[in-house]
Amino acid sequence: MDIPPANITQSQSSGAADRTAPVAMEIELGPESRRLPEMLGEELWRASGAELVEVSKAEFGGALETIGARENFGLDPEKQANERQRETFWRALHLEELAIARGCALGRESAWRRFLAQYQEPLNRAAVEMTGSAALGEELASALYSELFGLTEREGQRWSPLLRYSGRGSLMGWLRAILAQRRVNQYRKIGRETALGEIEPAAAVSEQPELERLEDLRVAIKLTLSKASAEERFLLSAYYLDQHTLHEMSRVLRVHEATVSRKLKRATERLRKHLLRTLRARGLSRRGAEEALGTDPRDVDVNLRKLLQKSEGDTIPDKEDQV
Amino acid sequence: MNRNLQPGIHPDADKLSVFVEGAATAREQERMLAHLAECTECRKAVFLMQPHEEVERVMATPLKGWVWRRLVPIGLPAAAIACGLIAVFIYFRPHGAAPPNPQQIASVRQPDIEHPATTIAPNTNSDRVTQSGGPQSSFAPGAAATDASRQQSRVAGRLNLPASKKRDQATAGIVPRTTGAAPSAPVTTTDGALAQNTISSTTVSELPLNGRNVANLQQLGTADTKGAASQNSLAMKKDLPALQIQRARGQGGTLAEVSGRITDRTGAVISGATVTLRDAAGTTRETTTGVDGRFHITELPAGQYELMATARGFKTSNQSVELKPSELAMLQPKLDMGAASEQVAVEASAAQEVQTESANVSQVDAGRVITEMPGADRVTTVPSGLPVAATVSHGKRFLSLDSAGNLFLSRNEGKKWKKVKPQWVGKAVRVELTPAYSSQAPPKAKNETAAAANEGAVFQLTTDTSAVWSSKDGAHWHQQ
Repeated sequence: MDIPPANITQSQSSGAADRTAPVAMEIELGPESRRLPEMLGEELWRASGAELVEVSKAEFGGALETIGARENFGLDPEKQANERQRETFWRALHLEELAIARGCALGRESAWRRFLAQYQEPLNRAAVEMTGSAALGEELASALYSELFGLTEREGQRWSPLLRYSGRGSLMGWLRAILAQRRVNQYRKIGRETALGEIEPAAAVSEQPELERLEDLRVAIKLTLSKASAEERFLLSAYYLDQHTLHEMSRVLRVHEATVSRKLKRATERLRKHLLRTLRARGLSRRGAEEALGTDPRDVDVNLRKLLQKSEGDTIPDKEDQV
Repeated sequence: MNRNLQPGIHPDADKLSVFVEGAATAREQERMLAHLAECTECRKAVFLMQPHEEVERVMATPLKGWVWRRLVPIGLPAAAIACGLIAVFIYFRPHGAAPPNPQQIASVRQPDIEHPATTIAPNTNSDRVTQSGGPQSSFAPGAAATDASRQQSRVAGRLNLPASKKRDQATAGIVPRTTGAAPSAPVTTTDGALAQNTISSTTVSELPLNGRNVANLQQLGTADTKGAASQNSLAMKKDLPALQIQRARGQGGTLAEVSGRITDRTGAVISGATVTLRDAAGTTRETTTGVDGRFHITELPAGQYELMATARGFKTSNQSVELKPSELAMLQPKLDMGAASEQVAVEASAAQEVQTESANVSQVDAGRVITEMPGADRVTTVPSGLPVAATVSHGKRFLSLDSAGNLFLSRNEGKKWKKVKPQWVGKAVRVELTPAYSSQAPPKAKNETAAAANEGAVFQLTTDTSAVWSSKDGAHWHQQ
């Protein structure tokens, strides 16, 4: 991660070129453009307090460059960031937390001390919240600690997931995310056996004579869903599949509950219309199509759940197979 | 472990956290939603990431609101009734309780009947003292006590205090004798002079309260002649400060107040005198007497205080005051003419107050005393932020002139200032308070009621073009 001296001089000269001819710089593409100007690097390094967590200027600058390259400075992949955009990106990072994360990943003692002082308690609390039990929570948190501490090895080197923290979000948010992922993994591992038992009675109830119609629906719904926006699909699956409340969804999307409700209603209506049209196009009478969907809105819900589940059952393994 | 989550497909924790915290770009958001729509695991993770407590809070809030809404029909009338009751209580309470206010106390203190209009040589004084000392030949503590009770009843009568109150005072041992002795001054001059005689002849210990005081004074034995000294003692007899510590009924808290009036030996009020109150810790509070010589310091924690009164051309008077919670101490320090450097400090006696006097009596220029406002000494801040060049006060009205010539008026003793719009041409250079009566008027008349002095005072302003403007209220000016 250390920058060779030659590179530094290069970046200096390119920085000087920037000041004299910024237009030329914007045109210039390639890895050079990802370099962190030394003055900015120095400033950010100071602002981050990386010194306190034993992260050198070169290490921190290297981290910033890596992150900038990885995230393409927060721009869409096909775009090339100009100097100003790069600077804005770097400045907007959670520098202090990034420094702590880097320090920890590099195994610096003071960084760990700060990390534990700041995050141990909230992390344990979050783990307990997620698992709903103190014992499970502690287990989850301690497993995460050992992982963060770099007990896992990759290609012969200690590797800490903290290296993946970009500083774009807060470190606490990142920790919650990784904790949630570990929890989901855990759940999936244990849940393979138990969760099936939970699902099966519901599936048994849904066994109804109109299965062949549902089969029709399944195809139709796949078509329709592919046309819906990502947000609508997310809302539909979160609501009908996971049975999250509107409130929970509103928090994830950071919009008001009423907005979620409205969007969901609109998505459901559009889906229904679409389905009717598709079903009729596939040769069903209008009445038949309506019957298939259910005239009672609640029926629609139930059916949608079943349908989404079915369609999902198709998509996810597909993705997994691709790997 | 995280290989279970298929790093290639599932977004990593960083992406998830960026999404959840709303830091993602529109494109990232779109892609994340698209993934979440199809990936149960990530959806689960995203929902798991949401902190818990917020849910509880949000769920609690509407419930609370609902309860409140239910209470509105009862609560609103109840609040209205409570407001009404408070208003009635506030309106009637001052009339019923008649808490002692400084004005009433001040009116008790009559000025000396004999006011030296011209410079009185110590000898003359002593002569007079001996002359007037004739009629009454004995002064014993018992006599003083009766005197005291007589005077107290007078005080109480004026204050509309119940008899029990007055008894309380006498028995509480606050300053029965002092209180008695002080009001004795206005009764007759002979009374006072007589008492003085006794004081100088009787042993100091017989004076229950101010023995130490007198002793000190005698020890001090400055350059004064014997006559002057006796005049001083006479003055002390006459002018013993009336420290009346009374329950300030209006105050429920633990803070005490001190108020009083500063007069010179003749009883002429001294305006613009600086009154400093220093507590045991050395913290000082300062105020300036108004045109009627009154001062009032509020919100004082209980404790022992050193009260220091200074005025230009007068000696500094020091006095110890012990304040108890919720007490209103009424003081009437008197100042002597003399160099300001001469200070006579006297320790507090057990009776909680001591008046210090020195024996330098000379003519009191009443007019000067009234109008002289040592504005520069005042701790006053005006909205302009500039140093205050002069301040005059008239009751609660304060008028301050800053160094730039802006005039500020305060109607509430300097708490709130308002700039006076200049109706004059040029810059105001001087502001003063002129009594309506001339300085030749006998001070006695002036002291009859402080209110009379108040009503007669007129603010005067001199501009840099030497035009004199006057105003009664400080806001509306007319050229003289």
